[in-house]
Amino acid sequence: MRHIFFIAILMFSSAQFAQNNTIGTGEKLTFTASYNMSGLMTEIAQVTMETGQVKTSKATLLHLKCTAATYTKWDSFFKIRDLYESYVSPTTLIPYLYKRDINEGNYYKFMQYTFSHKTNSVKSLMRKKNGKGVIYDTNSNVKISAGTKDIVSTIYHIRNLDIHKATPGDTQSFKVIFDNAEMVINVRYVGKEIITTALGKKECYKLALSLKNKNVLKGGVNDNLLYLTADANKVPVYAKFKIPVGNGELKIKSATGLKN
Amino acid sequence: MRNIFIVLGFIAAILALILSVTPLSQISYLPAIAAIIFGCIAFYISKRKKSPKKPIQLIFLLTIISLVLTTYKVIFNTAEVGNLEELELKKETSVEDSKEILEGLDLDEIDFEIEELPQLEGLEDQ
Repeated sequence: MRHIFFIAILMFSSAQFAQNNTIGTGEKLTFTASYNMSGLMTEIAQVTMETGQVKTSKATLLHLKCTAATYTKWDSFFKIRDLYESYVSPTTLIPYLYKRDINEGNYYKFMQYTFSHKTNSVKSLMRKKNGKGVIYDTNSNVKISAGTKDIVSTIYHIRNLDIHKATPGDTQSFKVIFDNAEMVINVRYVGKEIITTALGKKECYKLALSLKNKNVLKGGVNDNLLYLTADANKVPVYAKFKIPVGNGELKIKSATGLKN
Repeated sequence: MRNIFIVLGFIAAILALILSVTPLSQISYLPAIAAIIFGCIAFYISKRKKSPKKPIQLIFLLTIISLVLTTYKVIFNTAEVGNLEELELKKETSVEDSKEILEGLDLDEIDFEIEELPQLEGLEDQ
C-alpha cells in the first residue's frame, strides 16, 4: 500500500519537470470575476490570461500576461487596473522575470522579480506610492528555494501538470514567491466533475487549493476550488475562492488560440 | 406601533432607492422587500385603527420606483470594461522594458526551442 502511494505521488510530482504540452503562444482566456455581496454574486471585473512570445538576442521566451479591470459601473467607485506578467521558458515554464503592476483605487504598487536559478535567489524591486503621492523604490535580494516560481507561472504550471495520471486525493505543493516572501500552495486533486460553462458542458478536473501557514485563503476543503477542462488544454473554466473579506468566483467567458 | 413601522418602511424604501441608482443595485431588492413588509404591517394597523394611509402609499411608491430601476438595470445593463488604453500602453512599455532586462540575464542554461506562433485566423471561441 505504501509503495502504491509512493508511486502515485512520484507520478504526480514528476510533472514538475514535465515539458510544456499545454500552453501555446497566442492563447487568450477571458473571465468574469464576481464577488458575493449580501448573498448575491455581483460581476465586478474582467480578468484575462494571455500568452505571447518575446524575442531577445539570446532566446525566445513565453510571455504570460494576466490583467484585471473593473467594469465601467465600478470604475468611479473603485477602479482596478492590474497587470501581472511573467517571462518563462516556453518548454519548462521556468520563470525569469516577473512583474506585477497594481492600480487599485488610489493604491499603487509595482513588484519586479528577476530570477537567478543558479544562485536560487531573486532580485526584487518594489515601487510604491507614499502618503504624499511620491513614488519610491526598494531593492532587495531574496533567497528562494529550488523550484520557487512566481504566482503567474505557477497557475500555468498547474495547468501543465499530468492530472490524468493522478488519483483523487493526490496532493502537490508549489513554492511561490509573493510580496518578497516564499509561500507554499497545496494543490489537491479532488476528482472529475461535469460543469456547465460559457464554453459548453465540460468534464473538468476539480482541484482544491490551500495556502500553507497563510490566512489569505480561508474556508474549508471545498471553498477554494479550481476547475480545469479534462482535455489536453486544461483550460481553467471556473474557480471559486474564499478570502477574509468574503468570497467570489471566476467564470470563463471565452477562450481563443488554444494549443490543442 | 404604526409610526414605528412607517419610519422603518421609509428608511428601507429610501435605502432601496439610493442603492438602486448605484452599481450595488442588485442588493436593493433586500431593503425593498423589507420596505414592502413594513409598509404592509403599517397599512394593516392603519386600516384597523382607521388612520391616514398617505405616508404608507409614499413608502410603496418609493419601493416600486427602486424595484423598477433595479429590474431595468438587471435586464438592460451589460457588464462592460471601461477604458483600457492606459493598461494597453502599460503592457507595451512593460514589454520593451522587459526585453532590456532579459537581455542582461543569463538565459543559456535552458533550451528555448519554441514553435512558431499558430495561425489565429479561423480559431473561434470554444
